[in-house]
Amino acid sequence: MTKILFSDKLDNCVERWKSAGLTVIGPVQRANISTYAAVEHAAELDFGLVLPDRSIKDLFFPQSEPMLRYTIKKESIDTDECLPPSGPRIIFGARPCDASGMAIDDPLFGWDYKDEYWFQRRNETVIVTIACTKADDFCMCTSLKMAPDSTKGSDIMLRPLAGNKGWLVEELTDRGREAFKTIADILQESSDPAAPLAVVEKKFDLDACVAWLQNPENFESRFWKEISMRCIGCASCTYLCPTCHCFDIQDEGDTYTGIRRKNWDSCSFALFTMHTSGHNPRSTQSARWRQRIMHKFNYFPGKFSVNSCSGCGRCSRQCPVDMGITETLQEISKLSL
Amino acid sequence: MSIEEQYRTRAKELLSGGAVKMVIGYGKGSNAKRRRPIFISSADEVDRLVLDDACITNLSGYLVSEGLLSDEKRVAVFLRPEGIRAINILAAESQLDAEQIVIFGFDVAGNEIKALKGINVEEFSDVIDSIKEGAPEAAEEELFEKIEKMSPQERFSFWQEEFAKCIKCYACRQACPMCYCRRCIVDSNQPQWVNTSSHTLGNFEWNIVRAFHLSGRCVECGNCDRACPVNIPLRLINHRMAEEVLGAFDHFAGTSKTQEPVLASFKKDDSETFIL
Repeated sequence: MTKILFSDKLDNCVERWKSAGLTVIGPVQRANISTYAAVEHAAELDFGLVLPDRSIKDLFFPQSEPMLRYTIKKESIDTDECLPPSGPRIIFGARPCDASGMAIDDPLFGWDYKDEYWFQRRNETVIVTIACTKADDFCMCTSLKMAPDSTKGSDIMLRPLAGNKGWLVEELTDRGREAFKTIADILQESSDPAAPLAVVEKKFDLDACVAWLQNPENFESRFWKEISMRCIGCASCTYLCPTCHCFDIQDEGDTYTGIRRKNWDSCSFALFTMHTSGHNPRSTQSARWRQRIMHKFNYFPGKFSVNSCSGCGRCSRQCPVDMGITETLQEISKLSL
Repeated sequence: MSIEEQYRTRAKELLSGGAVKMVIGYGKGSNAKRRRPIFISSADEVDRLVLDDACITNLSGYLVSEGLLSDEKRVAVFLRPEGIRAINILAAESQLDAEQIVIFGFDVAGNEIKALKGINVEEFSDVIDSIKEGAPEAAEEELFEKIEKMSPQERFSFWQEEFAKCIKCYACRQACPMCYCRRCIVDSNQPQWVNTSSHTLGNFEWNIVRAFHLSGRCVECGNCDRACPVNIPLRLINHRMAEEVLGAFDHFAGTSKTQEPVLASFKKDDSETFIL
């Protein structure tokens, strides 16, 4: 016997969580795009998506975040620190690749400096993940040694029942248990079986790819130029990626007063590494694409023992020129045979 | 022989004879519905070229990749009529020498591929004239008309909601053959002329700057619209600006390689109904 949350009871749960002061967030379709956003009612949530166009990263690391306001006076500079708006939240219906993406970035944001913006939001958010029963051509979690029901980064894992009737509930963390205490009486005991999980084909041999990337001889390989020739150098892949975390700090304002912001930045842009002198150590798009792959599968795991990729496939799914991590690692797999 | 086969044969001849150093075309993509840009430099590889109704991306932007044409060798490229117009503009704006471009022209009507006759850009003027007279796609026209009928406030709200989605990934810019500046104004940071932040003001600044910059230059290939990962209907903005320029200056972008850029030229009888 397992606890079950029936779909027709979800609106009661949303009400319950809202009354308990939680902001309820979930997958929605709005203005011709699917994303995770705050909702008032369960009916607004869309569980039919393979995964939303946008990842949950934005909820922890927004694209533009005010850090401080400043006023420059004759003798002094006044600063007023901006912290993110506080308040408990529950994300209902994250995908396993999105939830694990946040866990992948935790060590990065807590490494030499503890990023308060990230951790305040992380600590105040319960992630309720729904295992995937369908996948598309671009899903690649299994290639990353994950699965359509990976629990990494989730506080609660829900496994869909056959016929979209509801979900089997698995409580994973204290934060998850706490949030589900509020709805304990709504859950029912049942022995209904879970719907079969999505079948996600394995597309490349990750270990072989990592070994190839770690071999210093391959850093200058012609492969990088060939694979990235059609890359147009936009940041679509980076900005949709649940784990890409690079940012730039910008002061916006006039000479005397302004606001310091933390804005997303991308290694795809030439400006990312441009020196003041005009010299650019990554002067070509192939060097930039190599950096993106090396960072995710060589440098990041070298430092944090985890790949900086959760296999969501958004980079390939949305690429204007049909590139992406999948193709690159597939080709590297072939090279390393 | 299908058009795909004809063009493969032509590509093979051009490459093996050294008439062109590269053919930029379409290859198979990561699934059956997708085609991706490919770059063929050897006659042995021409069989990778694919031509069907999924070949949509305007490839002309690759021609202005840094250094590609600087050896004065010729490059062949698969282009739909919009792409051919783009070649005219790039030539008119001194970004490339049209003599270096060998065109594999094609058009798609429904599922049918039609070959466009010609090799040099001058040979396609009839095709370009026929698009000038042609009607836009119905689905697009419907939304376009709906926006036209809105009050300025409603229209502002519509675009506010659309631009709120913008994440400043600059896919629109990077996908655009007309956005060839080596350093875009938004990347000029000494001083920082345009906010880099992706907030309401920053997103408006970016999208409006781009709309004006493309006025009289956009060929409406739709690369920006398709590249946008957050589905902002950018094509509508460009279409509106193209109509504006056509009405005010009788200028249809990309009709010939000697056509003067409309906003960089002056005629005594230009209409002066506004000051920008």
